[in-house]
Amino acid sequence: MQDLIIAAHSLHKTYDTGSVSVHALRGVDLEVARGEMVAIMGPSGCGKTTLLNCLSGLDEIDGGEVIIDGVVLHGLADDQRSDYRARRMGFVFQLYNLLPVLSSVENVEMPLLVSGVGAREARLRSLELLDLVGLSDRAAHLPGELSGGQRQRVTIARALVNEPAIVWADEPTGDLDSETAGEIIDLMTGLNRTNGQTFVLVTHAREVGDRAHRIVRMRDGMIVEDGHGSC
Amino acid sequence: MEELFGVPMNLIMAFLLAVFLPALAVVAILGWRNPIMLKIALRNIPRRRAQSVLIVVGIMLSSVIMSTAFGTGDTINHSIRTEAVEILGPVDEIIFSARASSGDIFGTNPYFPESRVQELRDALAGIEEVDGITPGIGEIVPVVNSRTLLSAGRARIVGVDSGSFEGFGFFRLTSGDAARLEDLEWSEAYINDKAAEELGAVPGDELSLKMAGLDDTPFRIKGVVDRGGLAGDAATVIIPLGRAQALFDRPDQVNSIVVSNRGDEIDGAGFSEEVTKLIRAHFADPDVAAELKSLLSQEELLEPLKRLGGSGEGNLEDDLQELVTELAKPQVTNTLISLLADDQVQSAIREALEDGGLDEQGRLASTLLANLGSFRVLEVKRVALDVADQVASGVTTFFIILGLFSIMVGVLLIFLIFVMLAAARRTEMGMARALGAKRSHLVQMFVFEGTAYALVSAAIGVLIGLGVSALIVTVVNRFIGAFEDDFQFTNHPTARSAIVAYCLGMLISFGTVAFSAYRVSRMNIVTAIRGLPEPLVLPAQRSLLTRLLGIVRALVRPLIFAYRAAKSAVHLQLSNAALNAGLTILWLLIFPIWIVDINVAWWRFLWPYLLHGWLTVVLGSLITWWGVEIEGAALFRIGGTLAIIGVGLLIRSFLRRTNVRAEVRERIAFTFMGVVNLVFWILPFSTLRAVAGDLEGGPEMFFISGISMVAAAVWTIMYNSDLMLKGISFISGRFGKMRPVLVTAVAYPMSAKFRTGLTLAMFALVIFTLIVVSILTEAFSTTSDRVALATGGWDIEGTIAPGTPISDIALAIEDKPSLSGENFQAVGGYTSISFQARQVDAESLEWQWYRVRAADDRFLAETEYKIKLVADGYGPSSRDVWEALRRDPSVVVVDAMVVPSRGGFGDNEIQFQLEGFFYEDDDFAPVEIEVRDPLSGRVSQLTVIGVLDVVSDNFGNIGFGMFAGRSMLDDATPREVPITRYRFKVSRDIEASVAARDLEAAFRDNGMETEVLAEVVEEQNSANRAFNNLFTAYMGMGLLVGIAALGVISLRSVVERRQQIGVQRAIGYRRGMIQLSFLLESSFVALLGIAIGLGLGTILSYNIVKDIREQVGIETLRFSMPWLQITVIIVVAYVFSLLTTFLPARQASRIHPAEALRYE
Repeated sequence: MQDLIIAAHSLHKTYDTGSVSVHALRGVDLEVARGEMVAIMGPSGCGKTTLLNCLSGLDEIDGGEVIIDGVVLHGLADDQRSDYRARRMGFVFQLYNLLPVLSSVENVEMPLLVSGVGAREARLRSLELLDLVGLSDRAAHLPGELSGGQRQRVTIARALVNEPAIVWADEPTGDLDSETAGEIIDLMTGLNRTNGQTFVLVTHAREVGDRAHRIVRMRDGMIVEDGHGSC
Repeated sequence: MEELFGVPMNLIMAFLLAVFLPALAVVAILGWRNPIMLKIALRNIPRRRAQSVLIVVGIMLSSVIMSTAFGTGDTINHSIRTEAVEILGPVDEIIFSARASSGDIFGTNPYFPESRVQELRDALAGIEEVDGITPGIGEIVPVVNSRTLLSAGRARIVGVDSGSFEGFGFFRLTSGDAARLEDLEWSEAYINDKAAEELGAVPGDELSLKMAGLDDTPFRIKGVVDRGGLAGDAATVIIPLGRAQALFDRPDQVNSIVVSNRGDEIDGAGFSEEVTKLIRAHFADPDVAAELKSLLSQEELLEPLKRLGGSGEGNLEDDLQELVTELAKPQVTNTLISLLADDQVQSAIREALEDGGLDEQGRLASTLLANLGSFRVLEVKRVALDVADQVASGVTTFFIILGLFSIMVGVLLIFLIFVMLAAARRTEMGMARALGAKRSHLVQMFVFEGTAYALVSAAIGVLIGLGVSALIVTVVNRFIGAFEDDFQFTNHPTARSAIVAYCLGMLISFGTVAFSAYRVSRMNIVTAIRGLPEPLVLPAQRSLLTRLLGIVRALVRPLIFAYRAAKSAVHLQLSNAALNAGLTILWLLIFPIWIVDINVAWWRFLWPYLLHGWLTVVLGSLITWWGVEIEGAALFRIGGTLAIIGVGLLIRSFLRRTNVRAEVRERIAFTFMGVVNLVFWILPFSTLRAVAGDLEGGPEMFFISGISMVAAAVWTIMYNSDLMLKGISFISGRFGKMRPVLVTAVAYPMSAKFRTGLTLAMFALVIFTLIVVSILTEAFSTTSDRVALATGGWDIEGTIAPGTPISDIALAIEDKPSLSGENFQAVGGYTSISFQARQVDAESLEWQWYRVRAADDRFLAETEYKIKLVADGYGPSSRDVWEALRRDPSVVVVDAMVVPSRGGFGDNEIQFQLEGFFYEDDDFAPVEIEVRDPLSGRVSQLTVIGVLDVVSDNFGNIGFGMFAGRSMLDDATPREVPITRYRFKVSRDIEASVAARDLEAAFRDNGMETEVLAEVVEEQNSANRAFNNLFTAYMGMGLLVGIAALGVISLRSVVERRQQIGVQRAIGYRRGMIQLSFLLESSFVALLGIAIGLGLGTILSYNIVKDIREQVGIETLRFSMPWLQITVIIVVAYVFSLLTTFLPARQASRIHPAEALRYE
């Protein structure tokens, strides 16, 4: 039997804007094994980001169940879920979403500090991570002083600093040129390989999907294809 | 209220309307021409309702403050005028004899033959401004109600002539019916309601009038009449004139004439000046006029008069020329007498002789002029109404000056709001620019939105302000009620004040919005669309030619507008033509706008040189020098500040030529400006005095100091915010899980330097003001040694009716079975008499009214009044001076109010002023003065040998006038002057209030009324404290703005940081942490603001207190912190700022992470 880290059953999610109801997820079932790198692909508005948000506990679900490493995620109170995210998950976003007022190293150490790790230890680990993503010389720089690729590397360092079991990445290369995007994907696949961490990526980019173990294709809030990538 | 800052309110209103209405018309035309921009602007308003509400609150504050100030001024004006009219009724002028007659006793006006009244009637016959002249008798007599045994020690007995009552209406019984004097029997009298109240009297009661050397005279009360007019305001007994003449044994004599002018009770005062002139001319003494004629006809005196006549203005010039002609005639003509009796001509004569250096003749002429009038005419109504106007105008000015801080803070908030609105809409605006909108369109869009907000906010503000002024009036009435039974303020704002407040509030908002709109329109389109930070590229410097052309264009701006209007009209572009025609009219009609326009062009021309630094240094140094030259503290300080900024800019310019990094360079230059300016402003005044000599500063210095100190502190902090951030980051390392919250809470505000700096400045300014006011109030509040200084060591003052004197108070006390001499440690007496005085070697030759307090030997021996300044040869101690007064009847001690002060308390109502030395000096040479008895014309020479401490008589509020030994009166006046005031020191263990009651009862027949002096001092001081607290609360309104600013910032932060909040939540921030982070953020700004305000406020207050103590010599002034009040201010400021931030913080914490991450 596979060692499942993510198990989602019959996920339903509806957005109600008052006048219009959008059924974003229509009974999605998905299982991801530990150490797997999964790419969720599909056209705009098919529900990819919604699925990622629901799986990671960032968003509420209207029906179904998400189990992460044996924990029923939506059974947890909001604060418990926040703590769980801080300890067990990492996030990478298309627009980097670094806190602009903090330096690179301060951004990276934030999840550690939130989970109660001591300031000194947090700083050391963050510097290690920045070194890992090749940005040790940019530790004191503010995000505004970095290039797009560098910012995304900082985001990845932040996502990995608390050694999460799962890294969620929403269009991690969406705002980057192809060369930089390639470097970022190399970095993520390398980390996946060496650390055995699970990666769930939402992407439009075929070259990203091709590097994943598995590609899940969505349309109209449903999984329409669940196949393997080239990796 | 008729005037503000000396400018008539009607003129202010006309000016404001002339600016406001055309400005509004221009906005309307622009809206009509650009409907799309108008639509965008108006649709922006309901987008975020909570934010719109906060904007309205912020904008309305200046209107609230103005309308509060004006509303309060109106109410004060109306109430005092109404009171004056109620008290005086139809009485416009009162005439008293200026010549003593035989049988006159001290304390009542001199009697004169009743026939003089008829002479006056004949003289004024045909003068339509006068509609009533009636003679009367007024005497002060103790009265006792035989039934209730209640007494009125100083009741007025008024004899009224029922035969000449025309023009004065009639006495009205409290029941509303008319009271006829003809109905009174020989032993009957009316009393006014005030007397009825004091005596507990009702019709039918019997009153006993106590008169010296006579049996009590009984009167039965026929009825109680309303007070006011001839019925008087104090406790008054009214009897027919004939009865009064018999009672006081003055057949066919009266001691006053009352005149009523044409028109109603207010309009009559308008004729007062003219009527008084006629009366003075009529009553001028022909003998004195003849003496004056022979003096002024001397060639050497005539010359300066001719010169002045040639250079005078209008009527005065004609009068002086006529005077010279009349003086040349052989006889004393009526025209000459009229001219000599004229106030303005008298002043001109004195001036001419002073300027001509004819001191001796001038002194003689001045004395003859003082003797000229055989009667004194008091313009009671006009003076009372003028006082009402002055007080109201003073209070309004005071409130506005106090409100300047809040107005300033309000302006900063409006600016902040619009800068933040612009930041929020930057992308939209960038898009609009990309699609072809001009900068002017963006400015217009903001101006439309701002105008819409301001129109509504100013209206709400005016209404709230009127409410606040009503509240202030209610509170003030409560204070007044504690010590004044008969007077209350009645809320009475005027439409004119509301209009002025509205226009002012509106224009302040409008101006600020226009400025901030201009600032935000200068954006980079690409960075705006992409949401990137604005590049730090300095705008290209305009060439010299462009800048020069700018000045030329500004000089001919109306012509340019007119040309454009004509051109547009020719091309049938009617709206454009109308707009330019409107602008032409605006520039020409409202001239100051054109002046501002030209000035702006000049500044643009000079700007590059100012920015370089050297011109700023030169300008600052010139202003500083000017300040030293004219001894103006404000100019000196502002110049100094500018010079320091200039040096900072020079440093920056110099460093630019080196390879110092830009950020280091900026830090060095700007930190230098901030720190050095801060030090410059917190330097003790004595240090600056040592450098610049004595500088004079008014209340505006408080405002300028506050703004400058706070600006320098905030400037320094914001330019070094990264250091603070590092410090907090280091410290927060010890707080474990709190660290991320703390770090972001400080990092966010410090990254938005402009808005944080503005908010910090607002908060700090408000706290600064409140702290300074609190500390100064505390410093000036009463202390026990202050009471001793104020009362001269006396416990009780007893005043008796002058007609019933006590021959020897010590013996009298022993004689009274209810009193024991042992209860009194000391008793002394004095009499306060109106004299005229002038300094012998002074520039002014004019006699001025001043009081002499002629004290008996026991008073002088026991008094502990402190002498602040002792004349050379009479010291060193205060006691030495008092002993000199006991020995020598020609030496006197004056109070501090008549001595010029460098510290600024010399501004008072007393006309007589000494010159040649200052209160703050260490000593002075004895000063020769002359005093003149106005009734006998006798002049005596006296020497001033001491100046009382300014705290004496509680800063002159208990009594004032020069002290002299009683024997001084032997030479100064032929009158018999009894002692009318007694001072008592009670023995240890004796309660002063009990002793005072016993004294009143024992000396009831003398009409003794007592006051416990410590209670009077405490009452006056607690009223002062209450007013100070009221002003503190008024100034606290600025706090609302500071708090609203934090609310606005928090609301905006939640919107701006929505996505970042999503990230924080994604990486594990709990809801509580997000909320806490926002609360800590506003706490950080609020607490930093509180710390700056508290620190700087304390330092400035310390400097002020120290300086007043040392310079003015108020030794009882102590610096101490009113911790309770300060704690309340800090807690209220902090708690309310937290409460305002609480909702946005809660909103932030409720944001769903997935939703926030989707947000752009």
